[in-house]
Amino acid sequence: MAVIQVEHLVKDYKIAKKGKGLKGAVKNLITNEKQVIHAVRDLNFEIEKGEIVAFIGPNGAGKSTTVKMMSGILTPTSGQVLINGKNSQKNRKEVVQDLGVVFGQRSQLNWDLRLGESFELLRHIYQIDKKQYEENLEIMNDILGINEIINTPVRQLSLGQRMRGDLVAAMLHSPSVLFLDEPTIGLDVDGKYAIRKFIKEINQVKGTTVILTTHDLGDIQELCERLIIINHGVLIEDGPLNELIDRIAPYKNLIVEFYDETCVKHPKAELFFHEENIGKYRFMKKDITAAQLIQEISEQIAIKDVTIEEATIDDIIRIAYHKE
Amino acid sequence: MFKTIKHYGRVTLENLKMSILTTLEYPANMIGWLLSNPIQFLIGFATIQFVVAEFGTIAGWGYGQLAFLYGLSVISHALSMIFFVQGWFMGFYVIEGEFDRYLLRPMNVLYQFFFTGFNLIGITDLIPGICVFVYGCIQIEFEWSVYRVLAILALLIGATLIRGAIYLIIGTTSFFTKSVNDFGAYTQELFDKTTMYPLTMYPEGVQLVLTYLIPIGWVSFYPISELVGVANGRFAWQGAIWVTLGVGVLTFLVAALFFRWGLTKYESAGN
Repeated sequence: MAVIQVEHLVKDYKIAKKGKGLKGAVKNLITNEKQVIHAVRDLNFEIEKGEIVAFIGPNGAGKSTTVKMMSGILTPTSGQVLINGKNSQKNRKEVVQDLGVVFGQRSQLNWDLRLGESFELLRHIYQIDKKQYEENLEIMNDILGINEIINTPVRQLSLGQRMRGDLVAAMLHSPSVLFLDEPTIGLDVDGKYAIRKFIKEINQVKGTTVILTTHDLGDIQELCERLIIINHGVLIEDGPLNELIDRIAPYKNLIVEFYDETCVKHPKAELFFHEENIGKYRFMKKDITAAQLIQEISEQIAIKDVTIEEATIDDIIRIAYHKE
Repeated sequence: MFKTIKHYGRVTLENLKMSILTTLEYPANMIGWLLSNPIQFLIGFATIQFVVAEFGTIAGWGYGQLAFLYGLSVISHALSMIFFVQGWFMGFYVIEGEFDRYLLRPMNVLYQFFFTGFNLIGITDLIPGICVFVYGCIQIEFEWSVYRVLAILALLIGATLIRGAIYLIIGTTSFFTKSVNDFGAYTQELFDKTTMYPLTMYPEGVQLVLTYLIPIGWVSFYPISELVGVANGRFAWQGAIWVTLGVGVLTFLVAALFFRWGLTKYESAGN
């Protein structure tokens, strides 16, 4: 059975339509026209146990709204989310007992007190067995070195340290599902590295299912087998990263520098640029490999230098976002 | 059931511990309130003293009786500040998306809202309340008995619940208006004007509203008038002390249901 089932999920917001200027403001008082914003429209997908899924989309695509419905914060307009077979609105308390959530932009730690106090409180809230709690802290210390900062007041932690604290706080009760909303936002290279390592390890050691939203393509590349892309509240892509790359950018470019201005054509590659001694070929990955193409060209004419261009993950995501 | 009570009890203790630690982090803050809050209420009481000195009584209430009323009112105000002050800041919680965290934890949201942080600063209100109350007791030569101790406890619980319920109802409107209002200033104004003086000094229409529509009359006037044996107008009930407790529980239940409905309108905050 899937750990997370999202079925026909819809979220509409009603916002008051605002007229311009003083005249508009007076008119608003009388007419009170409402405009419906469709933040999420009929979303369907399932996530299996142990997956790490990147949930991405441009700003305002409905990512946060969806994550908030999945974690039981927002009530869907229609449709439902099942976590381990339970509805996250109707069985909120049961569902969240098995859920860890981290919002990169806000903290659940007590600002004024040492980090350890926040952990102690969570131990009581989630009724974590003392032995289990200490074991979990031990594991977290191995991965994130949390013992170094456990006695520091949260307000004195750096952003990276605070983020580590928040991750530990979310994992203390050994949830089977972890939602991370932009976990690496604003972090430096080391901070990002630590967070990614943590996600990988808890996924492997504890089999935790991880759903993360991010704008950091490095996160996706390093962590996620599967991508779910939404835009305008609609699911536009769902699948492994490699498949997406193959589908959106099934070609590579081979740039060849020759010794003079003569150039050759090749039946399996399109010569789309030729100026002076530079020739650019575009070929389908399924038709021919780069090595073969280079070899066949060099059999006809001497090659000085080659470069292979491939669509980067940035390109892929950009193309996916603009696809209708 | 027993397990649930134990769970909530344990978390409450932990929250209390954290509130104490937090308060101790900022001792200067506590000292500031410790100076300003008692002064505010002692001056309030001095005003009453002046009026009584000039006119003899207020609506049939003598000086000692007024002190008794004023003192108990300030005590229930202080208790509501300690336990329910969050209601004043509901707008902030709604707009800033602060309910997210409570919704993500396996406990009742309303419980978490009120009891995640105890407002220990509220203790600074308790001091002038107790002083004026004790002064009133001496003035009217109040005779203590086991029944009267229980009655005063019941009265304080009921009164604190009514205050809390009204903060909660006013605060819950934020889910619908989606605006950050600081409800503190005007709820305090409302309660000051209505609980610290005899209700019978107002026209009957106002008394009616404050008895049935907004049950503020029960916070102090009706139960205390019965306790000290003063005339309390045509809307008073027999056994007002115990009615107060009932009204407290009932209004709080209504407020909690209203809150629960409001919470379904919660929209969190961007990102």
